[in-house]
Amino acid sequence: MFDVLDMGASGLTAQRTRLDTIAENLANVYTTHNAKGEKEPFRRRFVVLGPGRAGDPQKSGVHVQKIGLDPSPPIPKYEPGNPDADANGFVNYPNIDMSIEYINALEASRAYEANVTMMEVSKSMINSSLRLIA
Amino acid sequence: MFERLLNQTNAPVLERMLKFTAARQKLLAENVVNVSTPGYRQKDLSLEKFQGMLRERVEQRDHNGLGSTSFDDLEAQLENPQRGMLFHDGANRSMEQLMTDQAKNALMHNFVIELLRKQFQTMEMALKDRPV
Repeated sequence: MFDVLDMGASGLTAQRTRLDTIAENLANVYTTHNAKGEKEPFRRRFVVLGPGRAGDPQKSGVHVQKIGLDPSPPIPKYEPGNPDADANGFVNYPNIDMSIEYINALEASRAYEANVTMMEVSKSMINSSLRLIA
Repeated sequence: MFERLLNQTNAPVLERMLKFTAARQKLLAENVVNVSTPGYRQKDLSLEKFQGMLRERVEQRDHNGLGSTSFDDLEAQLENPQRGMLFHDGANRSMEQLMTDQAKNALMHNFVIELLRKQFQTMEMALKDRPV
């Protein structure tokens, strides 16, 4: 029965990683250079979850399978005055849609809450079981 | 003596029920944990089927006399219920259904615990020959 709590914790970790990734996307929504300073727009990151605990797929739970890069093309915006603009005056901005990120963030935080609720209920069940002997 | 004493009451039935609610809670938690996992199919134990199995055993026990039937081998079968919406990622999920089920399951668990406690209290009272 105590295993339920570890499983819940794996869910919390996964959803938090998801939320972190979304926050990273939102933070970099206007990033047009990479870490080396080269002109390359930031690519949207997304989390792929897989069943089974991290490091031990036999145990029930969830883990972050990978953090993938969205292959969709960058969004060009016409900004001729921008030093990052190409010959036609377009600047390539990251392929991030704010509304999608917001919706994903909402989903992740709701899933996080559901996991917390589940853990609370499991805890109360364990407690009442312990009352049997105490 | 205690084996016989315990076997003559509802204690074995309640014990099996507790095992069931604990196992079901684990599966429901697993479903909630995997709510964003692509291709994940929900797992559950059917309360109705398990109660049917229990009822059969209880009737069998009533028929054959108290203490004659063992409840220890009763196990609920793992199921993949086809409920909730099937999403594009191949997962079927229904958060509302899951949360309702876990609430009902927890209530059932606590109710069974309470019944079992009362039964133990009665036994203790009988042993001590005075109210506890």
